[in-house]
Amino acid sequence: MLSELLQGTDSGGLLVIQDTCRYSGRDLLRSFISAALSRGDVVHVLGFDVDEEELKDGLKTPDSQALHIHSAYADPLGWNDHSAFTVNNFNLEELTNLVKQTSDLKPATLVIDSLSWVLRHVAPPAVCRILHQLRKGGAVRTVIALLHADLHQRGTVGSLSHLASSLITVAPGVRANEAVAKITKHLKSGKVIQDEEIFSVNEDLTVIVHSKHPEHKQNDAEEEQMDPTANLTFNLRLSDSEAEAKNKLTLPFVFSKEKSETFSRCFFFKHCKTFQFYLKCIKCKNNCFVLQENRSTSSRYGFWADSL
Amino acid sequence: MFTELNSILNASPDSITPGELIVVSDRQSDASFLVHHFLSFYLRARCKVCFLGLVQSFCHYSAVSQRLGLSLTQAKERGQLVFLEGLKDSLSILIPQERNAESQAMDFLQDPAAGLRSLYEFVQSSVTGSGSSEDWGPPVLLVDDLSVLLSLGVSAGAVLDFSHYCRATICSQLQGNMVMLVRCSGEEEEEDGDEGSERLLKGLTHQCTLTLHVQGLPTGFCKDIHGQVEVCRRRRRGDLQHNQNKLFQYKVHDKGASFFARGTSSAVL
Repeated sequence: MLSELLQGTDSGGLLVIQDTCRYSGRDLLRSFISAALSRGDVVHVLGFDVDEEELKDGLKTPDSQALHIHSAYADPLGWNDHSAFTVNNFNLEELTNLVKQTSDLKPATLVIDSLSWVLRHVAPPAVCRILHQLRKGGAVRTVIALLHADLHQRGTVGSLSHLASSLITVAPGVRANEAVAKITKHLKSGKVIQDEEIFSVNEDLTVIVHSKHPEHKQNDAEEEQMDPTANLTFNLRLSDSEAEAKNKLTLPFVFSKEKSETFSRCFFFKHCKTFQFYLKCIKCKNNCFVLQENRSTSSRYGFWADSL
Repeated sequence: MFTELNSILNASPDSITPGELIVVSDRQSDASFLVHHFLSFYLRARCKVCFLGLVQSFCHYSAVSQRLGLSLTQAKERGQLVFLEGLKDSLSILIPQERNAESQAMDFLQDPAAGLRSLYEFVQSSVTGSGSSEDWGPPVLLVDDLSVLLSLGVSAGAVLDFSHYCRATICSQLQGNMVMLVRCSGEEEEEDGDEGSERLLKGLTHQCTLTLHVQGLPTGFCKDIHGQVEVCRRRRRGDLQHNQNKLFQYKVHDKGASFFARGTSSAVL
């Protein structure tokens, strides 16, 4: 759906690109400018956030007659007294005049970079009203605005999202250079279409849509990750035969019935002064086990291997 | 100046990247060692430096710079450094008897709602004015720190306006650099929205080219690792967006700081 929006097949409206400080939506915005210029539309840009050079950077026809940049970057509030356009000029009459004085009879595309700057100085209800009236006014066919969503309260972002006929929320993608766009489009019939696409912006500001189903893409990426249990030098699980052999094995120092019988048969006790009992094997005549009296709980005995 | 940090940032006093806006932020930690680094870095690079010292006195910065091998007093006398001592100047505004009407920079204290135009005009005049005979390099603005302005009653929006004007003048027009420190007190991922310093930091992050975010160790206090710094380079003009994040742990020494990859502290290995 992103490429449809770029082609501008629909009949205008308000398109809002929402970004956060994790991923800037300005590349996508400039792609929209580039696409509109290549269609032959007249484009007016209100630049607050970045200077004219950066906006034009990468455009195929930066000196096109159809591109009019009204830069308020250097002096947006009129502090230096040499700005043609300031944020105070952001009202319906001046914007309409601005668009009408240069363009022909053809309705123009108005790009706002960014609405966040405007919202800092113009009250949100007034901004919404101006944007709504611009669409109704006839001089402007499409308004494309960038909005840094994390700079505003949720209510402000929400009301602008409701006003927008198309809303693109951009976020960083899994891989470098890729980003995820969540697109919400309100049709005139009242139907709402939602879509999610992975895209990247090239240096010549063309947009490549990689996938329409990012969920699958993400799963693939997860599967592509290396399996940490591959190429191990040992087995994590036993096979059936190994498990059987393991169960058969009797561990040393486990006291079983047969062992106790062996003890009673082949050892005799030798008392020692230090409260220790030596168990001596009759056959080999060696001290095989030491039996020590446990003083705290005198009823129990512990076994130690002495010279096995 | 910390040479290790220079190699991490690919910077050297001999070649300054024009138009760079560096945002230094900290959360539950102290990033002022980075301010001292940048101050000595730009003074060594023979830039014309305007320093807005709002949290400490001149003596403090001077003493730290002495340790790093630089004399701020000399730099001031040569006209390389313009130092705004916020503590002193605000006192002369708040107690009118002592007012000597030297600078208009702190006039915003009388009416914080009116914005920071006076402070911007001070910055503009100090970076463009040629008060010295020597020819200095591109201008640099250092602010320590912006969140103090919030405490003084200025709104986050007004501070963002101020930083925008400084950026338009210094970074775009004069091709200089800017370093701004913002302190965040709250916890991360707090979705309050009305927290001024969070909004300020996000607004600056949208404007900047490089962020250095200093945090304490998530695993708690450690004697040999003082914290971690996240280096995030945002896009520059010319190349398309690729946000690179790198995370380093650091230890501040008496005369410098060492940076190392996570888990490679000499105390661990």
